[in-house]
This record gives sequence, structure tokens and C-alpha cells, in this order.
Amino acid sequence: MVSYINLLLFFCIVLLFAVGTLILAKLIRYQDPNFDPIKIQPYECGEDPVGDAWIRFSISFYLIALIFVLFDVEVAFLFPWILSLSKLGLLAFIEMLIFLSILFLGWLYAFKKGDLRWERQ
Amino acid sequence: MFKPLTLEIALTVGMFGIFLLDLFLDRHKKRVLGIFTLLLLIVILGISISKSVYGTAFSGTFVSDSFAVTLKQLFLIATGLAVLGSISHTEKLLIGREGEYYLLLLFSLLGMMITVSARELLLLFVGFELMSIPLYVLSGFDKGNPRSVEGALKIFLFGTVSSALLLLGIGIFFAATGTTAWHTTRALDELNDPLGTLALIILLAGFGFKIAAFPFQFWVPDTYEGAPTPFVAFLSVAPKVAGFGILFRFFFEALEPLASTWTLYAIWLAALTMIVGNLLALPQRNIKRLLAYSGIAHIGYMLLGLASGSKFGLEMSVFYFVAYLFSNMGAFLVAEAVHRATGSDDLDSYTRLYRRAPFLSLAMLVFLLSLGGIPFVIGFWAKLYIFLAAAEAGYIFIVLLGALLTVVALFYYLNVARKMYIDEGSGENSFISLPFDLSISIGICTLAVVLLGLYPKGIVWIAIKAISAFGQSNPIIH
Repeated sequence: MVSYINLLLFFCIVLLFAVGTLILAKLIRYQDPNFDPIKIQPYECGEDPVGDAWIRFSISFYLIALIFVLFDVEVAFLFPWILSLSKLGLLAFIEMLIFLSILFLGWLYAFKKGDLRWERQ
Repeated sequence: MFKPLTLEIALTVGMFGIFLLDLFLDRHKKRVLGIFTLLLLIVILGISISKSVYGTAFSGTFVSDSFAVTLKQLFLIATGLAVLGSISHTEKLLIGREGEYYLLLLFSLLGMMITVSARELLLLFVGFELMSIPLYVLSGFDKGNPRSVEGALKIFLFGTVSSALLLLGIGIFFAATGTTAWHTTRALDELNDPLGTLALIILLAGFGFKIAAFPFQFWVPDTYEGAPTPFVAFLSVAPKVAGFGILFRFFFEALEPLASTWTLYAIWLAALTMIVGNLLALPQRNIKRLLAYSGIAHIGYMLLGLASGSKFGLEMSVFYFVAYLFSNMGAFLVAEAVHRATGSDDLDSYTRLYRRAPFLSLAMLVFLLSLGGIPFVIGFWAKLYIFLAAAEAGYIFIVLLGALLTVVALFYYLNVARKMYIDEGSGENSFISLPFDLSISIGICTLAVVLLGLYPKGIVWIAIKAISAFGQSNPIIH
């Protein structure tokens, strides 16, 4: 039980640091005498903001993002694989072929279902 | 090296075959997918009987012992019954989406098969997620029905919170012991300290969500009500059995040093789950909600096996899984058949069912008696044995409570039977014709419940065999 005193102490320090920094910043930061709410308003390319940022996006964006992740993960695994392939031998080669073919099936699925076509209903 | 993984590899290869078939098949010919899925499951069930699938892989973190293989066979049977019961459902209501439906079921099955074999918490977690995520999708598969979407959101939110809890528990377990793997050759004595108990509590909560034990059961009725019924038959059985499989393996093998602590928690969970499930089932007017609450009550009875903390309790829990599988899946499949005929899940649509469908109402009666624990169907033996195990562990009071609640349960089970056989209902007397697939799957469940009730010895023998090598670091190949 005694060993957890350290943990508690550590937790207190973390809490103190997080809250303390915020309070300190509040106390010593520069206060703008010409504060104007319009100046800190978000803007859209210099225009006045129109509407809310919480609007409906086309589902296609999500699909494209998902398919991007598919290939991104593939590449992330391919780089270390290719660098150490000479040491790993045939088994690693076959394993990567299986992995790539599974990912290829994912792409084929998106392709056959027409998710890669941009103009669709 | 890959021999213990034979079942999983066969399932994966078959799954990709069905996947490709789904992509290149004409929209109107997709009904064959269900039949192919069923054949695949039967083939894998056949492979699982072979003795060569036993062993360990990945330096002991993946174990295929008789416990894991028996549970995998149960999952295969449950998935097979669900697929068989879904064929005409998907053909009618999910046109063009059959492929996704069957594949998601199979992905979930693969997750279950991995997770009950895991002796390492991260592998267990990956299998657990592979099991859960398809369930979230399938719960909302009836896209046009707002209740289905509501139920899907509920199971998703509860499921993700439980996953987060599991990860937190795994982290604390790692902090306490310095390992995420466990082998029975070395007891994890480091767990005997506050951090180990904390890990135990958080992991128990994480698993509790999945098996829907008492404080975590809120998603169950809504999800069951909204989701497609043949899928609910699957959801109410297979993931629960998988959750218990993980609980048993993890608690009996890894958390052995803490056994006196977790049996105490398990007994409280069991008692509260039994009480809540049985009492909340009483006022239900919808058959799927009623079966959902009765399912929660059964989770409580199964937790008694964990609470007893002995091998005897484990064996009797495996027996209970078999009984619960056939009775509960059968009851949900009958609910699907009645829904197909009357368009409603209300209990009133069961009025005078025996005039309209004698076979169907007889089957329902058998399932209800089995769920209620009336002698000479399998549910009776299941309850008897699990009470016996709990009594042997010294929990006489809980056994009395359970027996009392069984009487309460009979009220709502027999209420349905009363509606089917005795109540004078209005008009409707047209004969209900069953789709072929549903009549086969309901027939299999009925036969299993009755025959295994007359000859429970076979299942007891299987259960004893399943537990015999449990907890040994290298399973014997017999």
C-alpha cells in the first residue's frame, strides 16, 4: 500500500501543475484594452460567417476517408517490412502477400459497390 | 505451428470465398449465400471434431484446449441455427444485403473463436472487439425502423464504454504484474495487492457489460426489440457464451490468487442479476422484451457457476450453455415465425396460437418449459445442476433465492403458454404456414431440448470432458 503514496503524490503534482498553469496565465497575461468581440469572431475567408459549422456532409467524404485509411495502414506496414525482408525470409513474404490480398479485397468491395464513383445519387 | 489455428484459418478462408461470391453474384441469386454459409459452418464443425486441432500457438498465448474447442462448437451451432433461421428473413427484408448480413455474423463468430482461445489480454481484446463490432452493425440492420437504430446506438455506446473499461483494466493488470500474458505454470502472486483488486473490479465490469449482468443490462431489451429477430436469437446466446468463456478462462487461470475476492463479487452479481431479470420480465407485454429480461435472469444463473469457483461449477455452466442455447434460440425463432405471420411482437398475437399453428405453439411450449426449468426438458437439468454446484460451494441461501425466482419466472413463461392454449381470443383463425428454413431450425431446437432432456448424460459427459484439461498450460491431446 505504501508504494502507492508515490502515485498519489504524483497525481497531486500533475493536478496542481495543470490547474496552476491556467490560473497563473489568467493572472499575468496581457489584457487588451481595446477588446472587441467582433475581432475574435471566426470568419470564412474574410466573409461574415454564414450558418453553423455543424452541417451535413456528403457520406462520400467518409467513404473516401475510410478507403484512404485502408491504404495508409497498408503503407505503414509495408515500409518496415521491405527494410527487413532480407532477414525475415520467405514466411514474411507470404504473410505480407496474405495481408495485401485481404486489403485488396477491401478495395474491391468499395469498387464493386460503386463507392469510388463521385457523382452518384 | 498453425495446427491449433485450423478452425480460425478455415473460417477465414471460407469467409473470403463467400465475400467474393457476394461481390460477383447477381442481385437476385444471393439466396445461395445463406446456404453456402451454412455449409461452411457444418464443414468447420466437422473439422473441430478432429483431435489434431488441440495445442498451443504463439508461445502459449493462443491455446486450443478442450474447453475452447467445446465452446467453439457451441458458437458454430448457434451461428448455424441463426443462419438457417435467417434465410427467408434476409430474402424478404434485406434484398441485396444478404452478403453483408452473413459475413458480419461470420466475422463475429471469428472474434468469438479467437477470444475464447486467448491467454493474453491484448489478443483477448482484439478478439473481443472483432466479436462486438459486427454486433453493433447488425443491431441496426433494419435501417428503416427507428427502434432498430435506437437499439443499435444503445448497444454501440454500451459496448464502446465496456471496451474502454477493459483496456483500462488491462493497463492496470499490466501495471500490477508486468505482463499481459498468463500461463498456469506461474501463478501471478503480484496480484495480491490493491492494484490487482482494482484491475479485477474494472475487468469484471468490462466483461459484465458484454454478458449483460445486473448493473450493465440496460441496453438489452431495447436492442433486442429493434434488431432483426433471427439475429437476436444469435445475439442473445453466442456473445454471452463467449463472454462467459473469457470470464472463466481469465478468472480461473490468471486471477487464481484472488479467487476468494472474485467469488464474492460474482455471487452478488449473480443474485442481483437473477432478481432484476426475473422481476422486470413480469410486466412485459412484448415477447422480445420478455425474452430479453428472461435472458438476463439466465445470465444470473450462469454466474452461479463462476461464483462456485470449482471445476464442478464450470462443468455445470457448460451444461447450462447448451440448454440455454437451444431453448433461447428456439424461443426467438418462434417469435420470428409469429412476427412473420401476424406482423407484431405483442403477446396478444399469441392468443389461440395452437389453433393456427399447432406445431409452432407446441415448440414454443417446450422452449418456455425449458427456460422455466420444468422437469424432463433440458432446462430443468441445467438449473438443477447449477444449483447443485452452488450448494456444494456453500451458497445455500442463494440457491433458495434462485429456486424462489424460478417460481416467479414460471409465471411469465406460462402466461405466454396460457395465451397460446387457453385464452379465448378474437376472430383470426387462419392457418399459419411456416417458411421451410424456420421450420427446420425450430425443429432442430425442439428435438434438442426434448431429447437432451431425456438423456442429459451425454451433455454432462461433454461438459466434463471440456473442463478436464482446463487450466493446464499445455492441453493433453487425447
